[in-house]
Amino acid sequence: MIKKNQYFVLFIMTAVIGLGVLVEVIFKRPYSFHGTVINPPLPVTDFALQTADDKVFRLSEQKGKIVLLFFGYTSCPDVCPITLATFKQVHERLGNDAQKVRFVMITADPDRDTPEKVTAYVAQFNSEFIGLSGNLSDLESIWKELGVFVEKQDSGSAAGYLVSHTASVFVIDQNGNLLMMLPYGTSAIDMADDLTQLLKQMEKK
Amino acid sequence: MKNKKSISLLWLATLLISACGSSSAELTVQDAWARPAINGNNGAAYFIIENDTSSEDTLLSVTSDIASAVEVHMSMMDGNGVMSMQMQEAVTVPSGKTLEFKPGGLHVMLIRLNQDLKIGDTISLTLIFEKTGSRTIEVTVKEE
Repeated sequence: MIKKNQYFVLFIMTAVIGLGVLVEVIFKRPYSFHGTVINPPLPVTDFALQTADDKVFRLSEQKGKIVLLFFGYTSCPDVCPITLATFKQVHERLGNDAQKVRFVMITADPDRDTPEKVTAYVAQFNSEFIGLSGNLSDLESIWKELGVFVEKQDSGSAAGYLVSHTASVFVIDQNGNLLMMLPYGTSAIDMADDLTQLLKQMEKK
Repeated sequence: MKNKKSISLLWLATLLISACGSSSAELTVQDAWARPAINGNNGAAYFIIENDTSSEDTLLSVTSDIASAVEVHMSMMDGNGVMSMQMQEAVTVPSGKTLEFKPGGLHVMLIRLNQDLKIGDTISLTLIFEKTGSRTIEVTVKEE
């Protein structure tokens, strides 16, 4: 009889410990990012490009903020608006934390996209979004450094040439290092979760 | 007696339903929407084509008053994350199949809009099919 009781106590103890371990595993599991993490982060050469009204956006002046970079062009009716619509949802999901993030589109088509055009294009989604253009050589060095593919295609379209471009989103950390790449099609939920996690890690440091 | 009556009613209902079924064997274009866009820029419209007819049909062209040109394009991504668009001369919908125009895939490109497309606006597009002819659809402007 005593023995039976002892077994029962042992069983309860094992169950409690097991449950504890399970809770530990589920709730303290390290966060796994949806984007591709660049480890160690890659320093990005400082750049300056134009936004509307002759204002200059300089990467080094964004320190302390996460910068999301996306490359596109304003004649693009489908893919670029999809990414900007995702940015808009991410901005909404982040709430106050959105102020710690810069949402930036850099043109892949400087021949047609003036800084004003890119700014108006991104402002359709959120007036805080930043649209940038500049001269070809400045843009080319940014494309090259980040591995962004840009190519004009003569398509026979009435829209003139089309531009093939890398559609990933580049995440630059608060110190100007390339930290992560989010592939095209990453959902707003996943993107916002990754950013929230990155902001948490920034605050700990 | 009562049973017989209900059985014949059932038959009648079945006949009616099948009659409706055969008369709806047609090609339909549904759930049409377009993204908001700025006057002078390009826009995109999406919809679902369902071909319930007994033969394949081909979308030959799309026209609209709201843009200086209208084309069908397909967005495609290669293995390196590079997005391109390709103009489609014609799009065939096989018999009994559904073809979805959707973000990141097939879409109607509205080139050089002559008006802003604002959320809640309705625009019209005319789709010209090889077999079933042309039809004009209402397209709602919305975000997603």
